[in-house]
Amino acid sequence: MSEYGLRPGSADVQYAGPITFGPAGILFLADNGSARVLAVDVADPGQAADPEPFDLADVDARIGSYLGCEAGDVDIRDIAVHPVSHAVYLSVQRGRGDAGQAVLVRIGVPDGAVTDIPLDQVPVAQATIGDAPAEDDQRQDVTLFHSGDQGEEVTYEGRTIRLLRRPVRTSTVTDMAYVDGDPGVLLVAGLSNEEFSSRLRRIPFPFGDQVTANSLEIFHVSHGKWETASPIRTFVPYDHGASVLASYTCTPVVHFPLAGLEPGSKVVGRTVAELGSMNQPLDMVSFADEGEEYLLVANSRHGLIKIACRDIDGQEPLTTPREPVGVPRETKDLQGITRLANLNGGYVLALQVDEDGRRHLRSLKTASL
Amino acid sequence: MSRVAAAAIAWSQCGGADCVRLSGLAAGLAAGLVVEVRPELDVASGGFPAMAGRLVRDGDDVCFVPRFPFVDGTSYTIAVGGTAAAVLTRARPQPPASTEVRGIYPTAAEVPRNLLRFYIWFSAPMSEGYAAGHVRLVDAVSNEPLTGAMLPGSELWSADRRRLTVLLDPARIKRGLTAQRRAGYPLRRGEPFLVVVDDGFRDALGRPLCGPAARRYAVGTDERRRVDPGRWTVLAPSGGTREPLEVEFDRPLDHGLLARCLHVTGPGGQQVAGGPEPGTGERSWRLTPVQPWAPGGHRLIVDPVLEDLAGNSVSRVFDRDLARREDRPGPDKPVAVAFCPR
Repeated sequence: MSEYGLRPGSADVQYAGPITFGPAGILFLADNGSARVLAVDVADPGQAADPEPFDLADVDARIGSYLGCEAGDVDIRDIAVHPVSHAVYLSVQRGRGDAGQAVLVRIGVPDGAVTDIPLDQVPVAQATIGDAPAEDDQRQDVTLFHSGDQGEEVTYEGRTIRLLRRPVRTSTVTDMAYVDGDPGVLLVAGLSNEEFSSRLRRIPFPFGDQVTANSLEIFHVSHGKWETASPIRTFVPYDHGASVLASYTCTPVVHFPLAGLEPGSKVVGRTVAELGSMNQPLDMVSFADEGEEYLLVANSRHGLIKIACRDIDGQEPLTTPREPVGVPRETKDLQGITRLANLNGGYVLALQVDEDGRRHLRSLKTASL
Repeated sequence: MSRVAAAAIAWSQCGGADCVRLSGLAAGLAAGLVVEVRPELDVASGGFPAMAGRLVRDGDDVCFVPRFPFVDGTSYTIAVGGTAAAVLTRARPQPPASTEVRGIYPTAAEVPRNLLRFYIWFSAPMSEGYAAGHVRLVDAVSNEPLTGAMLPGSELWSADRRRLTVLLDPARIKRGLTAQRRAGYPLRRGEPFLVVVDDGFRDALGRPLCGPAARRYAVGTDERRRVDPGRWTVLAPSGGTREPLEVEFDRPLDHGLLARCLHVTGPGGQQVAGGPEPGTGERSWRLTPVQPWAPGGHRLIVDPVLEDLAGNSVSRVFDRDLARREDRPGPDKPVAVAFCPR
């Protein structure tokens, strides 16, 4: 792993955050406590796996059993699938408040065995997010929920949702994706310490000094205005990494070109879809089926949403309040999906919460979506 | 107990770590013993993994030392050789209270009627979710609560959760908004009030405070002017000494922002290292340098986000009246006030 600049050390993570795989089984972990991204060699012990579906009921309770705590003390912040073994890695915060502890959990596929990756002595490299909001930055980032016990309950227009207000520091990194190349680039979305604080950072890997960052501006259809402060919640690289498709709270989907961007400049996105107000996008993946590329958007209010990327390519920018709402979308009868990851060519792995609040891993066959 | 045979299974310590201790084991049994610990869960847990940990021989006993700490209030089933042998529950400790309110800011005796926020400092990290129930504003004469004065649903904590920022409802401060027209200002001119923190507020360990705390304020007129560093008095220190630089403001400024919005640069533009200190009532600020003052021009640099008690900053007033020329935005870049050590 030395060719990627990884050296033995401690990958001490204060707060479990987004994770994503890079080259050679290296896992990137974002820590919004220390405003760093860590690259860790997880040394996955699994063998190359066939493209089979994988389902596991009560994944939160299973992890709780392993970690010695109740399911309610297992906060699954993100999932990622190992590109070779298809083992599922989960970024977990065990417990709350002062007793909270970040744990990297591995679930073997297909045996479902739960283990964890000790992070105190691993090959690791790190990149610091230099423009992260300060720990005492008093601005708040508000996210929406339609279930659970986090935040406060509020009713708007007869609909009850939960609002969670957290210091902007906790949204320094909201999502990450790795784009292969020479060098490869880790794309990191989130908030910065500046007034126009929505950021997309590009960090070459192996990590060096040349972090480039751009502030982002979008037209928010349901809010009816241009916005720069709200962060991307989730995104996927698109067009072989030449652009990204990103989604925001209340729920525009926006296309950002990356090629030829001047570092530090403001990038104006092309809003291509509006998926509705009072809605939180939770995760996105793209997949190919019969030569066509599709986007899946897990969100808090509706079933899983599927969008054909060819519609995105032809969509004129949305710049007027409320309507039009952009590209056609198909809402699946798949409720409660909070996280998505490409499992293998034929399946997408979904973390799904049921009506009783229990969480399950479930494979969705892409050809049937 | 069970046929597998530990005479006692209990919480204990092993090598300084919490553990489950199995003692009174039949001779020779300890060697290949399989001990599995699982938390009690709300769902049927057949096939679930056992808690991560290791078995440690300690004399004649065997100890299960978990990799992740046991959770207070959680029950654990201990199986020995595949058979449930005991259920143990971690107690919820309630150590005596030791956390107190260190200060309530502003410390000015009088605040403007359009006061925007105050700060409460605690001596230790606090739990979230208690502010609405345990911080209140009350009329200093009648002791009746000033209902609806504080912005609901927002708990603004510093990263270490020792400082709570409490906002008065801006919708009742900004003129012309519906809430302001209907309910009026949260405070009333000439009617003193108290900020009260009661001892039910829980610290991060769930303990109540040592005792309640309160601060009394008189309520004066509105403050609607931008913060203008040109109106401050800068008392230059003697060159070659470590006398503090003293800056007197024309009005009290925000305690939280004061801590980070002022610094001093020397003749070469480099920042002067030193210990900054807000003065009484947040009406002044001083900087005692680490090194004696160099000769030549110095600059007090003011971040334009610095605010007064009513939320007016160097760059803008909190509640702008479009018809007022003096309400127009001011500088959005740092403002420098020049001085020269005497």
